Amino acid sequence: MQSRRTALTWLSSVGLFGSAVLSAVSNLVFIKPRATYGQPMRFAIGKPDDFPPGTRISLDVKRVCIVREGNKMAAISTTCTHLGCIVGISDTGFACPCHGSRFDQDGNVTGGPAPKPLPWFKLSLAPNGELEVDKGQAVEAGSYLNV
Amino acid sequence: MSIQIEEKGQTRTTALQGIWTSVFRNPWPSTDLERSSTSFTNFFLHIHPVKVHKHTLKPAYTLGLGLISFFLFLILVVTGILLMFYYVPSTTQAYDRMLDLRGTVAFGIFLRNMHRWSAHGMVAMVFLHMCRVFLTGSYKKPREFNWVLGVMLLLVTLFLSFTGYLLPWDQLAFWAITVGTSIAAYAPLIGKEIQFVLLGDSTVGQEALLRFYVLHVAVLPAVLGLLVAIHFWRIRKDGGLSRPEEPTPRPPTPDPRPPSRIYGLQGFVRGAFNGGAPEDSVFSWPNLLLAELFVFVLTVSVILVVSLLFHAPLEEPVNVMHPPNPAKAPWYFLGLQEMVSYSAFWGGVGVPGLMVMLLIGVPYFDRNPKGVGRWFAKERLLANTVFLSLVVLNIIFIIVGTFFRGPNWTFVSPF
Repeated sequence: MQSRRTALTWLSSVGLFGSAVLSAVSNLVFIKPRATYGQPMRFAIGKPDDFPPGTRISLDVKRVCIVREGNKMAAISTTCTHLGCIVGISDTGFACPCHGSRFDQDGNVTGGPAPKPLPWFKLSLAPNGELEVDKGQAVEAGSYLNV
Repeated sequence: MSIQIEEKGQTRTTALQGIWTSVFRNPWPSTDLERSSTSFTNFFLHIHPVKVHKHTLKPAYTLGLGLISFFLFLILVVTGILLMFYYVPSTTQAYDRMLDLRGTVAFGIFLRNMHRWSAHGMVAMVFLHMCRVFLTGSYKKPREFNWVLGVMLLLVTLFLSFTGYLLPWDQLAFWAITVGTSIAAYAPLIGKEIQFVLLGDSTVGQEALLRFYVLHVAVLPAVLGLLVAIHFWRIRKDGGLSRPEEPTPRPPTPDPRPPSRIYGLQGFVRGAFNGGAPEDSVFSWPNLLLAELFVFVLTVSVILVVSLLFHAPLEEPVNVMHPPNPAKAPWYFLGLQEMVSYSAFWGGVGVPGLMVMLLIGVPYFDRNPKGVGRWFAKERLLANTVFLSLVVLNIIFIIVGTFFRGPNWTFVSPF
């Protein structure tokens, strides 16, 4: 009799506690969005001719800098790896206005608290002739797209 | 002034008096019995004990800091609810609504000023209240867990302030939150997840604004209110405010009555007045009530004057392309931001995390029972010195971050 009561108490306790944990977890699942409404990770930025050779054009809204040297093009992130501010183009590369991180032309850290270099994103040519940046895919620094 | 209820049916009560006594069960107190039952039978006064120790009412002991924090919270709730009538948590409308508060809404700018300055004040007062409790050794047994609740209240206050910071959707807001949520991303293992769930996206945008709004107006105030209720309740259950141990324990007066099985209410309250003499305590009505009223009037007056004199800042609308240089967090996070400029992980997560752990653990590490209820007790020299050095260090970081940091976070002299 006693053992049956103990067993039932245990079972119902585990059941109640388990339900509480499950509902907490489902709330967490609920608040993590499955789709985001902000900027897409992949976007077109225009034709290669919009970026003349020798220029470094920072698209601040997209948080990416399009570099063109001759026929080689690349997309370097302008989101500071320290705390997410947008780095500006400076004489020696990039500089962050928030905590003073500095990067060279290729995004390597040359000073300040930034822990990592600026990532390079995959740049490709879409069939319609437009350049497409995919911020979901980082590529090795120094990998250029030939146009 | 006294209102007669009934004297054995001899005086006739008018209809008006009947209504009055149906609402207020007690006459305006004129005897000690009525003073006790006023505190006891009124819903709002019932939070008070019938009598408090005289030491509790010494202004130089508590400085009224906890009460001031609570009254600032009340002001924040009232002004916050009023502001909600005109606010829209949308990236396209929020800033315009700020301008409307300035231009068209009656008392709009004034309400926003009150809300802003009370918020800053609350952060400062909660922090100072914590310093008072530490420096008087008030976290010791049996008040350990109330100290832990206090630490949680400090954290929720900071989070409330942080979430409110984004709502005006100006440059100040956007960049402070960009920096702040990136700090969260440095937390080990789940940092990136925390940031994503907090922002609802990978960058600060519409989703983040909506989430911060819901946290700011619903979730966090509810959590804070609940914690405050437990915090207050425990003050009562832990035997009132801390006070020095009695100089000489009085011999218990022999009770002529035989032991009875009826327990006084105080019998369930740990450490309440046991051994204390009646002359050490006073009635809550009117002594405690007047003290509270005084602090309330003082708090409201200061906030009103400050809100008349100074406007809450409102910068340019959000421009994602132009971070202000330097981009600074609110002042109470500038110490954090200064540390973050040395190392993002240690400054933003490691050191603050350790500090919070240390704060929560203090009543359990510090087992020295001496020195409760006095400021800067000699027996607590070591604990107080360690605590004060950390406080001063934090203040130095805040001052450096506020006044000595210029563009690109380089060292500048304000002079």
